[in-house]
Amino acid sequence: MPIIEARGLTKRFRRPVKPPGLGGALRHLVRPRYEDLTAVDGIDLSIEPGERVAYVGPNGAGKSTTVKLLTGILVPSDGEVRVRGIVPFANRIANARNIGVVFGQRTQLWWDIPVREAFRLLGDIYEVPDDAYRATVGELVEVLDLAPLLPVPARQLSLGQRMRCDLAASLIHSPPVLYLDEPTIGLDVAVKARFREFIRTMHARRGLTVLLTSHDLGDIEELCERMVMIDRGRIVYDGPFAELTRRFGYERSLHLLFSAPLPEAERVIHRAIGERAPVIIVQPDETSVTLTFDGRETSAGELIRDLATALPVADLRIEEPTAESIIRKLYEGTLSFDGADRSDRQAIRT
Amino acid sequence: MSAATSTPVVTSPGRRPRYLAIAVTAAQQAVAYRINTVAGIIGNFFWIAILYYLWRAAFAETTRIGSFTWSEMRTYILLAFGLNALIGFPTASRMMYAIRTGDIVIDMVRPLNYLRTQLAQVAGAAVLEGVTSFTIILALGIGVVQILPPASPFAAVLFVISVAMGFVTKFLFVFLVALLCFWTINAVGLNWAQLAVVNVLSGTLVPIELLPGWLRPVAEWSPLRGIVATPVGVYLGQDTGWDLTLMLGLQASWLVLLWTAADRAWPRAFRAVEIQGG
Ligand SMILES: Nc1ncnc2c1ncn2[C@@H]1O[C@H](COP(=O)(O)OP(=O)(O)OP(=O)(O)O)[C@@H](O)[C@H]1O
Ligand SMILES: [Mg+2]
Repeated sequence: MPIIEARGLTKRFRRPVKPPGLGGALRHLVRPRYEDLTAVDGIDLSIEPGERVAYVGPNGAGKSTTVKLLTGILVPSDGEVRVRGIVPFANRIANARNIGVVFGQRTQLWWDIPVREAFRLLGDIYEVPDDAYRATVGELVEVLDLAPLLPVPARQLSLGQRMRCDLAASLIHSPPVLYLDEPTIGLDVAVKARFREFIRTMHARRGLTVLLTSHDLGDIEELCERMVMIDRGRIVYDGPFAELTRRFGYERSLHLLFSAPLPEAERVIHRAIGERAPVIIVQPDETSVTLTFDGRETSAGELIRDLATALPVADLRIEEPTAESIIRKLYEGTLSFDGADRSDRQAIRT
Repeated sequence: MSAATSTPVVTSPGRRPRYLAIAVTAAQQAVAYRINTVAGIIGNFFWIAILYYLWRAAFAETTRIGSFTWSEMRTYILLAFGLNALIGFPTASRMMYAIRTGDIVIDMVRPLNYLRTQLAQVAGAAVLEGVTSFTIILALGIGVVQILPPASPFAAVLFVISVAMGFVTKFLFVFLVALLCFWTINAVGLNWAQLAVVNVLSGTLVPIELLPGWLRPVAEWSPLRGIVATPVGVYLGQDTGWDLTLMLGLQASWLVLLWTAADRAWPRAFRAVEIQGG
């Protein structure tokens, strides 16, 4: 049975439309006008216990809004959502006991209170029994190496130190579900690596279900077997991260370097490959050219065979798409050969 | 790893009741704001001095103004500012700020009732901020201004009860005003307005019976009189018998009403306008 389940989950925000200036503000007072903004648009999501899911998408796609819907601090405009069988907004307090949350940009520690006191307060708030508290915090302190930070008030912590403490704080009551909203924002490479290690450890030890939003591909690649990508509030991809390169990795590039200047390479290439497959030709200068083609239609080998005799090829390089370039292109809607405009990409999802 | 096991870094001093723990933490936090507390005390001190000299001048001509003698008036001024300091300007600002910035999401993802959490925090802070300034003001009162003792031991007991009710009343009022922050950006303006209304209608600046005509009945029946006028009246023994019962009954009724209002208004305000910021 899924631990997190959403069906047709939708959130519309009502935003006041205020014309600029004082006149506009007054007009808004007299006759307020609003526009609806659909931040989350009919999302279907089903996450099994112990899954680690990366929730990605461009800025403003609706990731944080989804997390807030799952925590019960926002009420959906439409659709259903259940976390461990509980409807979060209807039963916010019961839901709160099951979840841990980290918002990267906000701390849940108390600014002027030593970390140790903050942990103790959280233990009190969640009514964690004494021995469970000692065991859990002991483990968290050990794994995250927090011992030197315990007497320090939150305001004196660096961002990375704060993040480690925040992570511990979110797990003091041993929740089965953990939401992480951009937890690695602003962290250096070493702290990021440590964070990923920590999540893996906790996952292995406790079977934690993790939903993580991030703009860092490393987080996604190293932590999550499953990736859900949303754009403008809709899911555009839901599947294994590795599958992404296989499925969308058909866009290949072939870079050729000539032994002599060849200004009209494009014409020559078109003549040489004829109708074999559509290619996009970019010639940055007279001695080189880049061909972008659809790997499903033709192969680099076939193209090279056609071109090797027609062009003075001195050197060549074949470029495979990286996950990063694929994701960037999905975000930008610039995958070639797919006619990949936004409405089409709806059909791509599994 | 070895460090964690050889020296026990995690001690567990035992679980505390949740809202008590929140109050204690808020008090610890308030220690960090002691500059604010001191500034508040100095501000209050000036108000007390100004009113003290104004009223002393007024009493030079006469022995009674309204029902007040000079010694009663001195006592009134001092207690009024002491009580009003229990929930200070910074406390109200913090409540509004949390709503403005969306920091309340942190409180909202916890298994806590928001109204009670806020009350616990305010009470915790008040124990430190308020009680410090209240004590200083009281010391000042007994030493310099020479205030009157409570009218009777019975009045003293009722005073304490009335102060407690007044405290929660002020909290609820500030809380309800803070909810307006869901709709307006101008938290500072709202806070000043709140302060002015409380100062007048609670009887802090001028005893209610001396307020000008139209304002007087409003202040007489408003919930805000429970913050200052009612407890100080009890202290001075101004009302007895039926009047006293009426005053305390009014205070208690408003308290229940405001609590219910706050409890219901909160989720609505929260839902009507969404939390700010990613
Ligand atoms: N309280 C709000 N009122 C009105 N609109 C909002 C509110 N919160 C979010 N939005 C809008 O909803 C959309 C989705 O926002 P959300 O914060 O969920 O994006 P996100 O995917 O988390 O983006 P980012 O990667 O930048 O954090 C945005 O267009 C945003 O402007
Ligand atoms: Mg976000």
